[in-house]
Amino acid sequence: MMTIENKKGWISWFNPFKYGTDRWMYSLHRLTGIILGLYLIAHVWETSHILDGPITWNSLMVFLDYPFGPHFGPFILSGVLLVAVYHALNGIRLTIVENGLMLPKPYRPEFPYRPKSLKGLNNVLKILLGVLMIIISAIGIYFIFTGVIL
Amino acid sequence: MFLQYMTGLLILIFGSMHFLAISALAPTSDKILYLYNSSSGAHILIGGTLNYYSVKAVYTSLAWGSVFELLLTFLVFHVFNGFRVILSEQFPGGTSEKIITYSMLIVALIIFIYGSNTIVVMLNGGGI
Repeated sequence: MMTIENKKGWISWFNPFKYGTDRWMYSLHRLTGIILGLYLIAHVWETSHILDGPITWNSLMVFLDYPFGPHFGPFILSGVLLVAVYHALNGIRLTIVENGLMLPKPYRPEFPYRPKSLKGLNNVLKILLGVLMIIISAIGIYFIFTGVIL
Repeated sequence: MFLQYMTGLLILIFGSMHFLAISALAPTSDKILYLYNSSSGAHILIGGTLNYYSVKAVYTSLAWGSVFELLLTFLVFHVFNGFRVILSEQFPGGTSEKIITYSMLIVALIIFIYGSNTIVVMLNGGGI
């Protein structure tokens, strides 16, 4: 049971020395989740301006595309896409793994206590996540910058 | 966690449809996000899938409106339940967990009502 004394807080999400890739993926899942949650709030506020008519809406779209001068909107959208694709694909992996699917049968722990659950098919899922992330992100970013879906 | 998994999968399906609404299925001849009038020096949005009339055409469709409402419902649950879990781990304890749960519930309801208002008003041909 977690107590206040042994709690290290969010800073422990990013300890690169103590944990492996699964821990890093967990930390990234949380970080991307927070970013997407905050984006949802901003997106709901942003889309509510459709009620104010074409001038307000189009001005807002132009402002969000050119917040600093250069054509920046596609870079923001690409960032959101990358974060969303990672969160979605890792979410599917977690749904599979945390429900005990594609994991080895329970076994008696033996020295040097290397968990089998972090190997085998779990690693295949991680590689698949990486490959799919590259493909989906490439198609999405290509659309965002050119308007063409491959 | 079952509802968190299920809403996550549903967000994947409805989120993909949302992406299609501003891309392949957008009610415009061009499928680019921004189409500017390049003859003047200023940035004037004259077309593209994020142009007002394209977005309004999507919003006023009952099918798309239903998709957005369902997506909003799943998203609000998934996001604020996720925030609740993260905050409860950061600030453990019975009292703080209750405060966090009710705070997230109130904020989630505000976001849900605010987002739903946009969708429902637009479905009734709203806006100016």
